[in-house]
Amino acid sequence: MLVSPYVVHFILFVAFPVAFSIVLTFHKWNIISPMEYTGLNNYIRLFNDKTFLKSIGNTLIFLVIHIPLQIIVALFLAEILNQKIKLRGIFRGAFFLPVIVSGVVVTILWQQLYGYDTGLLNRLLTGIGLDKVGWLTDPNIAMSSIALMATWKNVGLYIILFLIGLQTVPTQYYEAADLEGASHLQKFFKITLPMINPTIFMVVILSTIGGFSLFIEPYIMTGGGPLNSTVSAVLYIYKQGFFYYHMGYAATLGLFFAFIILAVVVIQKKFIEKDH
Amino acid sequence: MKNLLNIIIVVLFAHILNSCSNSNKDSRDEILYWCSNDNYEIKFANVSTADWNRDNPKDQVKYQPVPEGRSSEEIILAAVVGNTTPDIYSNMWQGDVEAYAQAGVLIALDSLNGFLDFLYERCDSAVIEEIKSLDGHIYQIPWKINPIMLIYNVNLINDLDLQGPPQTYSEFFNASQKFQKDVDGDGYVDRWFGYSEVLVTWWQRFFDFYPLYLASSDGAPLVKDNKAFFNNEYAVGVFRFLQTLYKKKYFATEQLTARQDVFLASIIATRFVGPWEIAHAEKFKPKGFEYDYTFMPVPDGHEGPVYTYGDPKNIVIFKTCKDPQAAWNYIKTMINNDGDLRLLTITNQLPRRKNLNSNPFFQKYFTNNPKMKIFAEQSKYVRGTDASPVLKEVFDLISQEYEACVIYGKKTPEQAVKDASDAVDLLFLK
Amino acid sequence: MGSIAPENEIGNLTLLPKSLTLSSYSQMLDKIPIGGAFINSLIVASSITIGVLIFGSMIGYALSKLVFKGRDLIFYIIIFTMTLPFQITLIPQYIIMVKFGWIDTYLALIVPYLINALSIIMFRQYFKSIPDSLIDAARIDGCNELQIIFRILWPNSMPAIITIGIITFMASWNEVLWPLIVIRDESLMTMPQLVTLFAVGGRAESQLGVKLASAVMLALPIVVAYLFFQKYFIQSMASTGIKE
Repeated sequence: MLVSPYVVHFILFVAFPVAFSIVLTFHKWNIISPMEYTGLNNYIRLFNDKTFLKSIGNTLIFLVIHIPLQIIVALFLAEILNQKIKLRGIFRGAFFLPVIVSGVVVTILWQQLYGYDTGLLNRLLTGIGLDKVGWLTDPNIAMSSIALMATWKNVGLYIILFLIGLQTVPTQYYEAADLEGASHLQKFFKITLPMINPTIFMVVILSTIGGFSLFIEPYIMTGGGPLNSTVSAVLYIYKQGFFYYHMGYAATLGLFFAFIILAVVVIQKKFIEKDH
Repeated sequence: MKNLLNIIIVVLFAHILNSCSNSNKDSRDEILYWCSNDNYEIKFANVSTADWNRDNPKDQVKYQPVPEGRSSEEIILAAVVGNTTPDIYSNMWQGDVEAYAQAGVLIALDSLNGFLDFLYERCDSAVIEEIKSLDGHIYQIPWKINPIMLIYNVNLINDLDLQGPPQTYSEFFNASQKFQKDVDGDGYVDRWFGYSEVLVTWWQRFFDFYPLYLASSDGAPLVKDNKAFFNNEYAVGVFRFLQTLYKKKYFATEQLTARQDVFLASIIATRFVGPWEIAHAEKFKPKGFEYDYTFMPVPDGHEGPVYTYGDPKNIVIFKTCKDPQAAWNYIKTMINNDGDLRLLTITNQLPRRKNLNSNPFFQKYFTNNPKMKIFAEQSKYVRGTDASPVLKEVFDLISQEYEACVIYGKKTPEQAVKDASDAVDLLFLK
Repeated sequence: MGSIAPENEIGNLTLLPKSLTLSSYSQMLDKIPIGGAFINSLIVASSITIGVLIFGSMIGYALSKLVFKGRDLIFYIIIFTMTLPFQITLIPQYIIMVKFGWIDTYLALIVPYLINALSIIMFRQYFKSIPDSLIDAARIDGCNELQIIFRILWPNSMPAIITIGIITFMASWNEVLWPLIVIRDESLMTMPQLVTLFAVGGRAESQLGVKLASAVMLALPIVVAYLFFQKYFIQSMASTGIKE
């Protein structure tokens, strides 16, 4: 049967891993030694692991900054690009470029912006007489700096999505509103926003899933510092599993984190998606 | 159609089954010895194996440097997992051994003929206790050390009107304060007494916290009996010492090493470093530059010898070796008197043996290399690492508290050390 | 802000200390096997893309046009796997790679990605819109199922193929977490992986120019491809969003 490769693949790379993962959470294993049954130890460790809980917090902070920022900026730019301005195609193209370029490249580039002494941003600031900012060295704003970069990188994709969404709004609505003398803002909030709610929801889900996978940016940019303020959950799991080879513990972290992701997505669905 | 798919599936499964069985290594006739890829050590391996092979046609030893560019740790791990380990490996960091020993991939050397006798002749009992595994057996042979000491700029120290390099914390602070300068007048300090990378990476502590801790505590362990041992006045004292250095800007918080060697450029007057710096300094020092080494600073009122960290690298024999006794016979030639002298002269690294500074056999070398003399003296008071399979992580946890307390000043030393200690205890949860 | 994008790359090059960046490029080439990494990425990404297209279309076809027991069950399972966060399968998948001995081989990079739920769904969606009559006619002519897929469906599904092909290629090209986990041998590393390790590790020896040079090299292939196929790229990414 045609689907047999899928079944094989599924069992091998989905079903078995999930089952094995659950089994692993009750063991201690570092690959070279035999597995050791440890019962609930990994779970106890998880709940006492301040750094892991912090990493989840960091990831959530990232999302809380990144998602609204993304929606506002992307929507705003989409609105502008929706008008028939010159060079619209070129702007769209330019915005989209960072989306497909590797996150590695974007991170390395932005490191040059954010560098404390030699970074472009701080040089500009001191040039006009302001103080340097610890973009990546201040534990309170390091994560925000990364969120800012992530927004810049992906805004192109969401602009495209919003553009499509905006274009589905029937023009008659706007014309009717014009007749009633509605201002641009009123039109936006009363007509546009409700009509593009599905698009907004989609943007939220996509950037949420993307945000939960945050790994390579902090890995390259800060290694998780300063003071563990940029350790994302995936980065921490990676370190536990592939740097210390605590396979059992890492599997536990992964399982727990997966549940958190599902919970967040479900909550988002309840609150953001409105019935059509 | 069905056929094609069936073939695909069969091939896939066949491959899976094939890969599941461990591929048999080709049986080796010769003993395979992996050395590090340091140029001098390669030379050493070359000479050492050539000599042995000449006299031992039956047990030929082949040397091979570990591939460049990768962390040797990962290479060994990959070899262990893939069952492709060499017979002898000489660059094993002491901290890694316990994990491999517990995994059962190393030969228990104390079972080999003549091993214990030879060992007790070469090394003193403190060292032998240190390298013993938690199960009481010995899985590693102490080979070489590179003790961390305090290098200082002789001229700069003399300019400060001190009676010599600082030995205690107070003297250190005193000297630092005198040395601190803002040379270009921009309001920011640009001459610091010393420097240590403010990286949070776990191994960075070998160059600041750990040697200071050993010096202060006379070689106390960090972990013992599967518990954190370092929640004591020594660790707290070291944290406080370093915290003060950064707070008062005696040490720089910015990253200085991106540019030149700041010690040779007289931007800093001291550094915690090992003997490898000598070769570098001789090559690049400016005219008139004079430097020397002394012991790590200790708390005021400290008495007795000053210990330090020795970055020990040891030799191990993997279980895949077909003739461990023959391998051991070769290793003996690496670490007997001739072998150790060869190590010194070719690589300028110290063999971890007793009486290095009093043994007349090595006298000539130290006369020719006076700067190394103090390391020979120090070699008696050197510690490696504690036997623990999670050592890397212990250092990582300490590093995180280090960052919070020493560099960012957000915690008191007492709190930081306690938090690190608690986190380490959690690690050992059974 | 977007217009800063191309400017950034140039701006960085000019604002840096004097020395011309060409020397950085040659230094970089000396230090890391970036050419090899490029080829690795090419091999891996191409294989995955081809695999995904083949398997995705096969299974998508089966789910959309054929009737068999368990069809709906498999469909729901596929939907379910799409919602499963990868964080949960990461560790065991690595362990499977170790057990099979696939670490440090192309297999580890390619095989887990050969079958992609999204592509199956997209193909199924697209195939539904192809009239059954076309397929029935082919059957009468004596075509077997595989022939139907490749001779009839594919030529009629170019938009879907291009879309899925581009998405898959791009995603696998940029993938870096998985290679970091299963590949330790430098000669097998993919391009983003190599540049990452170069940027984070000590090999660059804090030389900025060299690091940036490697970043530019990494960006180059995608940028070039983008310049040529811009329209398709944007369309592809947009349709992913819509399908969600």
